[in-house]
Amino acid sequence: MIALAFIVQTLRIAIPYLLAAAGGVMSERAGLIALTLEGYMLGGAFGAAVGALTTGSPTVGAICGMVAGALLALLYAAASMKFRANQVVTGVAINLLVIGLTRFFLRLLYDSSSNSPRLPGFRGATGSGFGALVTNPLVWVGVVAFAFVGWLLARTAFGLRVRAIGEHPEAAASVGVNVERTRYIAVALSGVLAALGGVYLALDQHQFTDQMTAGRGFIALAATIFGRWEPKRVAVACLLFAAAETLQIQLQGTQHIPSQFVEMIPYVLTIVALAGVVGRAVPPAALGREEQV
Amino acid sequence: MHRRTTTLARGRRALGTIAAVVLATIAGCTGRDSAKPAGFRVALLTPGPISDRSWNGGAYDGLLRIRDSLGASVSHIQTKTPGEFEENFRQYGAQGYDLVFGHGFEFQDAALRVGPEFPKTVYIATSGDRASSPNVAGMVFGFEDPSYLAGIVAGSMTKTGTIAVLGGTELPPVKSSFDAFARGARSVNPKVRVLSSFIGNWDDAAAGKEQALAQISQGADFIFQNADAAGLGIFQAARERKGVYVFGSNSNQNGVAPDVVIGSVVIDLPHAFLTVAREVKEKRFTARVIHLGTASQVVTYVPNPALDSIVPPQVRAAVDSVRARLVAGTLSVGGDSTPR
Repeated sequence: MIALAFIVQTLRIAIPYLLAAAGGVMSERAGLIALTLEGYMLGGAFGAAVGALTTGSPTVGAICGMVAGALLALLYAAASMKFRANQVVTGVAINLLVIGLTRFFLRLLYDSSSNSPRLPGFRGATGSGFGALVTNPLVWVGVVAFAFVGWLLARTAFGLRVRAIGEHPEAAASVGVNVERTRYIAVALSGVLAALGGVYLALDQHQFTDQMTAGRGFIALAATIFGRWEPKRVAVACLLFAAAETLQIQLQGTQHIPSQFVEMIPYVLTIVALAGVVGRAVPPAALGREEQV
Repeated sequence: MHRRTTTLARGRRALGTIAAVVLATIAGCTGRDSAKPAGFRVALLTPGPISDRSWNGGAYDGLLRIRDSLGASVSHIQTKTPGEFEENFRQYGAQGYDLVFGHGFEFQDAALRVGPEFPKTVYIATSGDRASSPNVAGMVFGFEDPSYLAGIVAGSMTKTGTIAVLGGTELPPVKSSFDAFARGARSVNPKVRVLSSFIGNWDDAAAGKEQALAQISQGADFIFQNADAAGLGIFQAARERKGVYVFGSNSNQNGVAPDVVIGSVVIDLPHAFLTVAREVKEKRFTARVIHLGTASQVVTYVPNPALDSIVPPQVRAAVDSVRARLVAGTLSVGGDSTPR
């Protein structure tokens, strides 16, 4: 019983990580640093809130969230490819921009700088049980998204091109791959996936709250690196981070351990895992390079 | 190479524009402040944005009430780092302000250092616990009293025999009010089990929800939360489980989630600010640690009228009688500090 509760809570916490990290793999495999996952997520969460509040439909909300994520991703792709801006700087700028924009529109649309009104979620998807988990369509989207990214990268011509331009764009271009177009598509897809992570948060809370992603995009980026850009490993990394968080939450109730110590667990685990277990992580060779074809 | 240079030049121009705008803004602010005529002048430093509708928002409301009730001219600055605390205190002192609030315990040391330089300006550190003659004071709220009352409600009404406290981070004042809540619950239900968790921050609503769901799955049916924005997730968790109720804190949160907030442990910051400002304006002020408890009506437990029907009359009577004893001073629940 306790084991089941633990697994259900782990999965629930892992879903936004899985979605965002799937986006992280897409973007980084194509050679663009996925520092913007946090911004895509927050934009997706806000898009979902606006869509769901305007139409009363969580599905429309999810679509609006995905569109928001795609637009932000295209902005990032344009800045780093067309204008050759430093990807780290652009990434940070976009994250900050989204924080400001969502706050601005929150104020404009809903007259609050902290949270939106309540919005409809998916029917049946409430509570903390196993039933609530499996009836939430976004949970399935999260699982499928990872299988999809894995399949896309490993088994399709598009995936092969993405991997090639992430390693050596000049070589890919020399055999006729349209590097820019492939990158735009890969990054837009990464925006859509990460935005779904934000959509999940907003619909699960039935509300958008200011900066509600609270660093989850960066955790997802860590999972991407931790999993060495391999979809399967990255998924395991996401589950591991989520399990550590669940452990932290479940241990706190016992009262015997100081809360500061328990809150530390996920971070300590991350450092130990990164330092000891993973070994050397070799990123895609062209990741973050400014001078490109 | 050519492209590089142009980009750089463009970047520099953009920086120049930004700098100009920032300077103009700063100049605008300063101009507005110093243009105020002499008279009763009050300033406020907050550690966070006044849009939080809680700790900082309450203080700003207090500043506005001083302006409206006492005809004061007021000024507010949001300041993050301790290095700026002193600088801002000094600036207001130099401009001849009569009263400056530093809103939070963290401002206390800066107030004690700057105070002697500007003896004509009164410096108050909200939730500070030290004073220095003639012009530096601390203001302490008895948040434990209403927490204790909320504990009585929870202890009497729990069906599972398990209740919970859930905070942002484990600050001493928060812990102290949680302890008072547990004591209140045990005073009416000695066998009640009290779970305690902290989210680790004050703004991650999703994490707040997960913590609350974990407490609920361990049997808690009444949760006393003190987590600011993260608290919104706790309300959401309660909404998804039948028969679970939450206590709001700091400001009156009964309206935030009227279907699950059974009552709020409220601190009336505007009232507290106005009380002190009036003393200063009427030259009655003496440097001391100002205690504002239940008797001053600055801290109160406010039941949610929308859920009155589920609270048995004898519970309401018990709360009223304990409150009367707290006001009369015949009962002390221990502790005396502020929430955050």
